Amino acid sequence: MVEDMDEESGEAGPLDLTPSASRPQQRPRRPMSIVVLLVVVAAVVFVLLRTLGDASLFFYEVDEAVAARSELGAERFRVVGTPQPGLVETRLDGQAAVVFTLCVADVLADVAHLGDPAELFQPGVPVVLQGSWVAGDPPGLHGLPFAAGDGWYLRTDHMVVKHDNDYRGDEAELESCGAGS
Amino acid sequence: MADRNTSTSSSGSRLLGVTTLVGLVGLLLFAFVLTEPDVRLHPTTGEEFGQFDAVRLLYLHVPMAVLTYVAFLTCAVASATYLVKRGPWWDVTAHASAEVGTVFCGLVLVTGSIWGRPVWNTWWEWGDVRLMTTLVLFLLFTGYLALRRTAADPQRQARRAAIVALVAVLDIPLINRSVEWWENRTLHQQSTLAELKIEDLTLFTLMLGFVVFGMVFAWLMLHRFRVGWLEQALARYEVETAIAERHAEIETLDLDAAVGETGGGT
Repeated sequence: MVEDMDEESGEAGPLDLTPSASRPQQRPRRPMSIVVLLVVVAAVVFVLLRTLGDASLFFYEVDEAVAARSELGAERFRVVGTPQPGLVETRLDGQAAVVFTLCVADVLADVAHLGDPAELFQPGVPVVLQGSWVAGDPPGLHGLPFAAGDGWYLRTDHMVVKHDNDYRGDEAELESCGAGS
Repeated sequence: MADRNTSTSSSGSRLLGVTTLVGLVGLLLFAFVLTEPDVRLHPTTGEEFGQFDAVRLLYLHVPMAVLTYVAFLTCAVASATYLVKRGPWWDVTAHASAEVGTVFCGLVLVTGSIWGRPVWNTWWEWGDVRLMTTLVLFLLFTGYLALRRTAADPQRQARRAAIVALVAVLDIPLINRSVEWWENRTLHQQSTLAELKIEDLTLFTLMLGFVVFGMVFAWLMLHRFRVGWLEQALARYEVETAIAERHAEIETLDLDAAVGETGGGT
């Protein structure tokens, strides 16, 4: 047994092996880092649920939306299509609206969009709209040169542009669809 | 002048830093002054359309996105090697590349959002597969960096972080392929370079962006690696110093005890 000297008595005593202050201490866990970690895990779960759990985030193409019209009913969904030339500014239920026609694979659907169209809205540049089917004709339909006119229209309130990946200036090709392009 | 052994810079890294700065100035000049905005004339309506000046963000956003992949793949390779060889060099490399990659990934999300507002008509689309998988990648590596600051034992911490990195990096193929696999769940366009729908000065400036951001990545990695290496050296030095002090203490005590025994015997 290692023994130490007692300073007062001069007798040998047990050696104190308690680590001295100069010895590096184990790094303590940092509560803030654990909080950050938990927040990150919660955020990942939230994002995954938001992405995978919402079927309405799928974009129906116009032809699919027309084919599934009866099963979609009044349900809100997203639809992607290429606007045809022709845009009518009108009012719908007291709100400003624009009426135009969407096209995919030569299948047409008329749209009444509440609010202003996107800044880069143009015929030939696909858009994604969110809304639902409504029976009847939208106001101003007769002003559209390539209207579907099938007794149904999409009433939408959210519009985003699905821009192409072509950066060749004037040589860039537009989506062609229907008689209007 | 900084001590050669405690500085993160060297003549090589200073040269790289200066070249990178010059490259960045050149890239900004090409991106924001010398290239034309994306303006086309519509064949039917005759109106101007395109991305206009928003296209200039392409020269920053795309190279940063690619360098994000490079950084996180570097982290994954270094992490896997660390788990096999347990060398500190690989651990420090993994940590450094994760940190640099997280910065790039954050900038990709920000520049993409700024570009999206005028071009897509939205800052952010919840549920868009490309956007969400990129956000998940950013969050996973933010978690990785938080994890690196929690565990008490550095080796256990490094092992856990390496496993997290190997899981997180699986998100990269999902991000990259999302525009093809889930075309109708994302606004994001498909690859321009794969179809070579880009030419002339636009193509040159994009390539310049890859080179310049590659240099930014190399410079950041170099310095972050050296900081990490110095941190490990400091930790080892502290441990060795503490051990030496403790030995010295014990030797002193042994000597005192020996002197005491000798003194007691006379």
